[in-house]
Amino acid sequence: MTQAENAAGVRRGSKSVRMRHGAPEVFATIILVALALVVVLPFIIPFLFVFKTQLEFVYHPWTLPTRILWTNFIEAWKAVRIDRGLVNTFIVSIGAIITTLPPSALAGYVFARYRSRATEIAFYAIMVGYFVPAQMVLIPLYKLEVASKLNDTLYGLFLPMAAFGIPFWTLIYRSFFKSLPSELAEAARIDGAGHAGTFFRVMLPLANPATVLALILVFIGAWSDYLLSLILLSNQEHFTMQLRVASFLSAYGTDRMPRYAAAAIISAAPTVILYILGHRWIIQGTLAGAIKE
Amino acid sequence: MSDELGSVGRLGGGSGTKRVRDKTRAPFICLCLLPAFLFLAVFLYYPIEETFRIALTKSTGMGPETFIGLDNYAKLFTNEEFLAGLVHVFSWAFWSVLIQLPIAFLVAFSLTFYANKLTGPLRAIFYLANVLPSAITAMLGKFIFAPRFGIIASLANTIGWKWLGSIDFLGNPKLAFWSVFTIATWAYTGFPIIYLMARIEQIPKEVREAAELDGATGWRYARSIVLPDLGYPLRILAVLCTVGSLKLFDLPNLVTAGGPGNATVTLGITLYRDGFINWNYGKAAAIGVVIFVLSLGFTIAQFSLGSRRGGEKT
Repeated sequence: MTQAENAAGVRRGSKSVRMRHGAPEVFATIILVALALVVVLPFIIPFLFVFKTQLEFVYHPWTLPTRILWTNFIEAWKAVRIDRGLVNTFIVSIGAIITTLPPSALAGYVFARYRSRATEIAFYAIMVGYFVPAQMVLIPLYKLEVASKLNDTLYGLFLPMAAFGIPFWTLIYRSFFKSLPSELAEAARIDGAGHAGTFFRVMLPLANPATVLALILVFIGAWSDYLLSLILLSNQEHFTMQLRVASFLSAYGTDRMPRYAAAAIISAAPTVILYILGHRWIIQGTLAGAIKE
Repeated sequence: MSDELGSVGRLGGGSGTKRVRDKTRAPFICLCLLPAFLFLAVFLYYPIEETFRIALTKSTGMGPETFIGLDNYAKLFTNEEFLAGLVHVFSWAFWSVLIQLPIAFLVAFSLTFYANKLTGPLRAIFYLANVLPSAITAMLGKFIFAPRFGIIASLANTIGWKWLGSIDFLGNPKLAFWSVFTIATWAYTGFPIIYLMARIEQIPKEVREAAELDGATGWRYARSIVLPDLGYPLRILAVLCTVGSLKLFDLPNLVTAGGPGNATVTLGITLYRDGFINWNYGKAAAIGVVIFVLSLGFTIAQFSLGSRRGGEKT
């Protein structure tokens, strides 16, 4: 933010908001706040509908709720079973982190610090994965998982996720390790640390910013996945949160709006809460990932 | 990317000053690369090879595969559904560049230029919808556009605009594409906004002060100073939009399932329909190859843009 520039601002309008640029700024602020409302409204309006019966909703959709009615929530909960979905999604997200980060960190380190003709070739071989959209390999992936009995398991879901993520995170780790001063590693080597010791005790802890970034973004990616889960999971028990939302959409539709609103609130809540708690990190991480690339 | 190709690593025997034979170096490198290559070999290299192979066969998943050469590809170009997908994917890319990026620029510029206590927290709000999983984006989107009881329909009915209340935004073949596109604009404009904001904030304060002394304020400053400076990030965003459109699957599949008819079909949806509903593996694999070739083309374009203006990268 360029807040500092406001220091010399003239006081205007309400007591705490400083408007330095006069009318254009007031106008821009109004438009921006209105746009932000448009973004937020789909999250808020369900609360107007959710405490009403279908009949109340049809006649008075826009009045404030007069009482707290839980039946819509109970019905939606039974239909979506978001609790089971959350458990599955959480397992998949953690699994994706555990299987994506170590291979990427190791490979990224080697590509940054042990450069030779052979590692250069290996680097490009890994980068091939960066150019391949997941959609291209869906058919063989599905056949492979059926043949090895991995389909319809949570492992079968996060292992390919890791494979699709490793090229990108190898790239991020590589550029991060390259940015660290090489004297550090040399000093550790002179002190008698082996290759592995240098990596685990000196270099990896220094790469914590990259690791935090990867933790957040891999978690969000696995958390949001729809396509892979749709193709690889078939047993309701194993459905992730997103698949449950998707099957609610196709099975129940929007005919009973209060129940639909309840389902929307229940399904959006975990992500929105996560975002409120971590939006600073999420935005910073996204930008770091996008710009590094 | 490849700017340091020629440089030699200083660690582990490359330095030349002390060329001690390091017997642990090569095994260490191999051990470090092994996990990554295991994952890629099983879930990427092998499936890539298989995709190219299956695309040349007639294959249903059961029974034998028969080699039919390029037949699958040839048939694609007379296939109505595939052609609809191709058209939608490109018009989606076109309109997202033309509509989402200008909105993102205006919002990003105003948020940074008119930074005050009210606009400060808005960046986090604009990015909120971007973080939502697509299933939930679809759910909220349907909530707005649903016939009879959706937000638009019930607002219109409440104020007596029956004509608006009776429009079926998702069921009408002429409107469905635009309804899904509107949902996507609501959800995904957040990323270009925060990306452009980060770039605008890198413009030195002195530049802005000098511009203000010269009388270039507000819109004039945006047009003649900020916009030229954003040439490179805007091009990157345009390429990201295009590649993203080629892979478009989640939202149209969740909101309208590609329908009504083929009104919102994308390449991803034709692949899914052919592969996992009609069990026509050969055709689906051929579509996968087409998606790969197209997105490779655009990604190469992105990287060549990147190296041409590499000096600007931070």
